[in-house]
Amino acid sequence: MSAIIRALNAFASGVQHLFKRRFTFRYPEQKLEFEGEGYLYDPKTQVGISGFKGRHLLHMDKCTGCQLCSLACENIAMAIEMVPIEGQWPRNKKSIFPQIDYGRCVFCGFCVDACPFYALFETNDYELCGYDRRSLVFTPKQLSIPPPKEKGVTVIFDEKKGEAHHG
Amino acid sequence: MTLSVGPQHPGSGHFRLIITVDGDIIVKAEPDPGYVHRGEEKMAEVRNYIQNIPHIERPSIIDASGILYPYVLAVEDLLGKSAPERAQYIRMIMAELNRITSHLYFLSIFGIFLGHSTMFMWPMGDREVFIDLSQMIGGTRITFSHFVPGGVRSDAPDSFADKAEKTCDYFEGRLKEYERIFVNNPLCHQRTVGVGVLTKEDAIKLGVVGPSLRASGVKSDTRRDEPYDAYDKVDFEVPVYSEGDSYARLRVHFDEMRQSMSIIRQCIKQMPKGPVKQKLPPQLRPPAGEAYARTEAARGAMAYYIVSDGGNYPYRLKMNVASFRNLIAIPYLLKGVHLADMPTVYWGLDYWPVEADK
Repeated sequence: MSAIIRALNAFASGVQHLFKRRFTFRYPEQKLEFEGEGYLYDPKTQVGISGFKGRHLLHMDKCTGCQLCSLACENIAMAIEMVPIEGQWPRNKKSIFPQIDYGRCVFCGFCVDACPFYALFETNDYELCGYDRRSLVFTPKQLSIPPPKEKGVTVIFDEKKGEAHHG
Repeated sequence: MTLSVGPQHPGSGHFRLIITVDGDIIVKAEPDPGYVHRGEEKMAEVRNYIQNIPHIERPSIIDASGILYPYVLAVEDLLGKSAPERAQYIRMIMAELNRITSHLYFLSIFGIFLGHSTMFMWPMGDREVFIDLSQMIGGTRITFSHFVPGGVRSDAPDSFADKAEKTCDYFEGRLKEYERIFVNNPLCHQRTVGVGVLTKEDAIKLGVVGPSLRASGVKSDTRRDEPYDAYDKVDFEVPVYSEGDSYARLRVHFDEMRQSMSIIRQCIKQMPKGPVKQKLPPQLRPPAGEAYARTEAARGAMAYYIVSDGGNYPYRLKMNVASFRNLIAIPYLLKGVHLADMPTVYWGLDYWPVEADK
């Protein structure tokens, strides 16, 4: 007898969800919103500031071409290569800047921790797909463009109904 | 007749089971692991103590904090330093969040192995809210690289406590729904009760660890037996079932999620303000010596043995992972089981081939 009640209970639990809002959201039209501007690091206190570890943001005016980010990535992903960029850079005598291959990057953020000049951070940008492997290699010029700010959706909890949805 | 299950991903990673059947009954089951061996231990000998962190997480990406935790403790032991108090609590929160996400993954695959697609979709959806929480602290969805020797890399944001509280409230309600639709469902009972029984004596003899051991009636949990970080300051129960079958293993995973949420709530209340990381040089050179650290990851006791010769790189690093310890129980449990019950028994052990192969 109790087995029948438990089977009916299982059915009822599923049927209830016909009247609840769905948890998923429509991805390309709606996008997830993250808190903060991305993963930042303060070399003075040696502590990072929590945020999403996505595509990097390079401040070319602050970068000195010291290659510490490239050294940090060695043995982890070997994604960073220093490439020369034409032009006058007062802080960067050798005119070399990091170029990141996102086909290799594992988004651990140790390159951000290695930068002592506040030049390399990570942003909320996570849409990095391309049609070929070449398009995954981001040049210093591409890395210095901040990602567009878009309003996204976050999880909203409805305590009364005990349900969650994105909005 | 001999059947080869795998090696193309029989549910949880590349792994082969060679099964001999007599009619519908399994006579002999021979596991054939090694398809995803990466040489993590050898790789660790040519990387320094920080560069080791990202690749050590990879064998078990759904429990990334759990597999990294003992490594960090062992290196801290070598250095003779300990993490600040706030960092210890943040580590515990991350480890427990990872335990919940890992157990939800377990539940969803367990559901789909029984042909219950609702139980596949619901835990996968609810896993997202916990991934959102761990992403707030760790920065990425699964592989955080967040723990470092001497603390954690970043502090929890201010809004974390509020969101964690709301998420736990929501999830407690959801767990009741899971119970109604799956765990108390007579269909689930018929497929799991009395299937793949591991007795207490055999579990101890085979050296099984983690939820599988607790489902066989042995009260063993590293968090309780040898508390590390601040686990001695929080209150929690160790769920134990004496049946030792697939259903008991399911219930242990289920109850552990409740305990993890209780630990997260206590951590948020007790967490002091202060620094989260000790200042250490970028290139760590621990003095020559050896260290051993053990923690309780989602799949059981996880241990690291590190030997340092005073240089940049570890001289030797030995990982003792929980999945490999549970692998030995697979041929033992599958003997005499119906072929249709094979997925329940196999996945009930929460065996993760990538972690076992290292």
